[in-house]
Amino acid sequence: MKAKFLVVLSSLMALGLVVSACGPAATPTSAPATQQTQPTQASQPTQGAQPTQAKPTEAPTQAASAGGIDCTGVQSGDTLSVMYQWSGSEEEKFNTIVKPFEDACGVKLNTQSTRDAAVLDTSVKSTPPDILFWPSTAITNLYSNKMQDLTTLGAHTENYAKFWVSGGTINGKLLTLPAKEDIKTIIWYSPTQFQAFGYKVPTTFDELNTLVEKMVSDGNIPWSMGLKSQGSDGWPGSDFIQDLLLTLQGPDYVQGIMDGSIPYNDQGVQDAYKIYQKWASDPKYTVGGATGTVNTPFLDAIYQPFSDPPQSMMVKQSGFAGGEIVKQFPNLKYGTDFDFFQFPGAKGMQGGGDNLFAFGTSPATMAFVKYITSKEGGKNWAAAGFDESPNIGAQGNYPDKQLEKKSQMLANAQGFTTDIGDTLGAPFNTAEWKAIVDVVQGADIPTALKAVAAAQKEALSK
Amino acid sequence: METPTIMKQGRLVPWLYVLPALFMIVVFVVYPMLSTTQLSFTDRHGTGSASAQCVQGQPCWGVFENYRYALTNPEMTTALRNNALWLLVMVPLTVAIGLLVAVLADRVKYEGLVKALIFMPMAISFIGAGVIWRFMYDIQTGANQPQIGVLNAALTGVGAKPVPWLSTQPLNNFALMMVGIWLWAGFSMTILSAALKGLPNEILEAARVDGANEWQLFWRIMIPMIMPTITVVATTLLIIVLKIFDIVFVMTNGNFGTEVIANRMFNLIVTNVGRSTAIAVLLLVLTIPVMYFNVRRFREQESMR
Repeated sequence: MKAKFLVVLSSLMALGLVVSACGPAATPTSAPATQQTQPTQASQPTQGAQPTQAKPTEAPTQAASAGGIDCTGVQSGDTLSVMYQWSGSEEEKFNTIVKPFEDACGVKLNTQSTRDAAVLDTSVKSTPPDILFWPSTAITNLYSNKMQDLTTLGAHTENYAKFWVSGGTINGKLLTLPAKEDIKTIIWYSPTQFQAFGYKVPTTFDELNTLVEKMVSDGNIPWSMGLKSQGSDGWPGSDFIQDLLLTLQGPDYVQGIMDGSIPYNDQGVQDAYKIYQKWASDPKYTVGGATGTVNTPFLDAIYQPFSDPPQSMMVKQSGFAGGEIVKQFPNLKYGTDFDFFQFPGAKGMQGGGDNLFAFGTSPATMAFVKYITSKEGGKNWAAAGFDESPNIGAQGNYPDKQLEKKSQMLANAQGFTTDIGDTLGAPFNTAEWKAIVDVVQGADIPTALKAVAAAQKEALSK
Repeated sequence: METPTIMKQGRLVPWLYVLPALFMIVVFVVYPMLSTTQLSFTDRHGTGSASAQCVQGQPCWGVFENYRYALTNPEMTTALRNNALWLLVMVPLTVAIGLLVAVLADRVKYEGLVKALIFMPMAISFIGAGVIWRFMYDIQTGANQPQIGVLNAALTGVGAKPVPWLSTQPLNNFALMMVGIWLWAGFSMTILSAALKGLPNEILEAARVDGANEWQLFWRIMIPMIMPTITVVATTLLIIVLKIFDIVFVMTNGNFGTEVIANRMFNLIVTNVGRSTAIAVLLLVLTIPVMYFNVRRFREQESMR
């Protein structure tokens, strides 16, 4: 009897615990009940308001056709969900670019900024954003069946070079177009220094080689290199090697590495590593030799040719380096104190950027795709100074000379490749970076590349 | 007199008391452990069988393929070797330094200050310590560039050449262990100091009266008497060192032959679920003997009371 009483008592206590634990949860459950009454109350005024709302919807459509922005089918007040990685000043630039579209069509953008591929994955699998801007085009492998054909949505493909359109077409569907690119196949130098020593900007790879040797014989250090980057040491070297591949082999070869038809330990890749090893590990060719290359943060390497006195003559780094130079040395002027030239002899451009994808099919989605790919959209993109837009409407509309020069190089490119490491992803990129660090420190190239080729195979297998 | 009802316990009641703790352990320890073990037999997506990871023409262990990777891959063997090195160097040195400071500080007036200084790094996270020590070890390689790293600034100050601490093997491994010792010496000092203060003065007095010098006192009396505490400190450190990750991740990310097990596990978790979890299980298996030893020791002490 007593034992039973205890069981009852303790189970009551347990129940009490459960109930009290559920206490907070009970409040939200009651809340919807009160909300339920609200819609019924509100529904009448809404219905009444609808006719008045209908007028503004027509108005923007008319205004839009006048402003050159096609808003067909869009209702004023429509929303559009957009996901991207930009934040801060980049996000502000994006906002200026889309402002004319929002005003013309009366569409409200619901934006989400994330760099997390896991966040993208969850949302694509539950409620995908209408529009996505993402740096890697590799996601077309993952979500191709959820992505919409941009041509069907009305994208103005005529505003893009052929290789962009063919590159973005997968199984006959145009899944992506580039929104912006930052070119990587360039070398930064100081025109003042070049003039002082009588150096000329090289235009072929042989000229570059001769120039490098001349600098060494003059007692100048040609390169500064820095592989240090928090958590991803080695990536700056992968850009250099890809430029060497674009020069010695060409864009098709690089494409072959990305689709796996060319193994990463192929002779062509080994040749590129040999040149890189010589330049990156000898103190006559690079600041501090191998020790300098592996211990220097990549930003410090960008500063070295422009410090006083200069530590080196050139640094190979992407377009963003221009901004970093100005941040570090506010007195330096573009064009005289620092400038850049295309990697001599490169048969194609390498770049990193953000690409446009669409998951939605709503009229607002279509209007947005049309706007971004239109000449008008390209013009506004360029005017915002948000890297280089491959859209031909962008030409001649950049706010500064540096961007204009970059965009011309991009426009004149014979071909374009994305970054091999970014495209193939892990485990390839981590293996590649490790091999670069090891090779700079004197590791045997074929052995080091064998491991990368294995990782390349693994990254490409589903 | 009859025992009050409330003091009697049936078979069910004890379980009810244990239930909340049991629930937490099952959800947060047992389930993840089982799930991890199960995943370690899968491929890189965590869905198919691990044998899918086999490469033709190369040795293959079937469903144990991920364990073959964990035990034979060159990067993993480096990691295993380094973890062993960490255990052999960091644990004894941390205990020794902690003990030394505890004994010596006991005899000076400004004991509190000394202990506070040694203990302070404990308040810094591994990541923070890694960032701080990256500056300590920093090297500038350009001509006439001033060294901003403390160690290299000191070296060049006395006319020596700067040393690339983090990219020279095997020096870099010891440079990283130094950070761990710096962080954990405070922990070992605090606990050992408390144990020393708990020693009954009569025993020490008796030894002194019997003619023991301080050296003998330390080795023959103090050490044996605080041995259980030393063991606890050492086993705690063993587990911490086995799991070492943050310092390596921040300072070298496993480059230059400094890879450790946990960093491999972390780097693989996104790209290869099977391999990553196999490494996690390996790490768990390596920790079990230490845990077993710890628990047995604890029981022995309990029974002595």
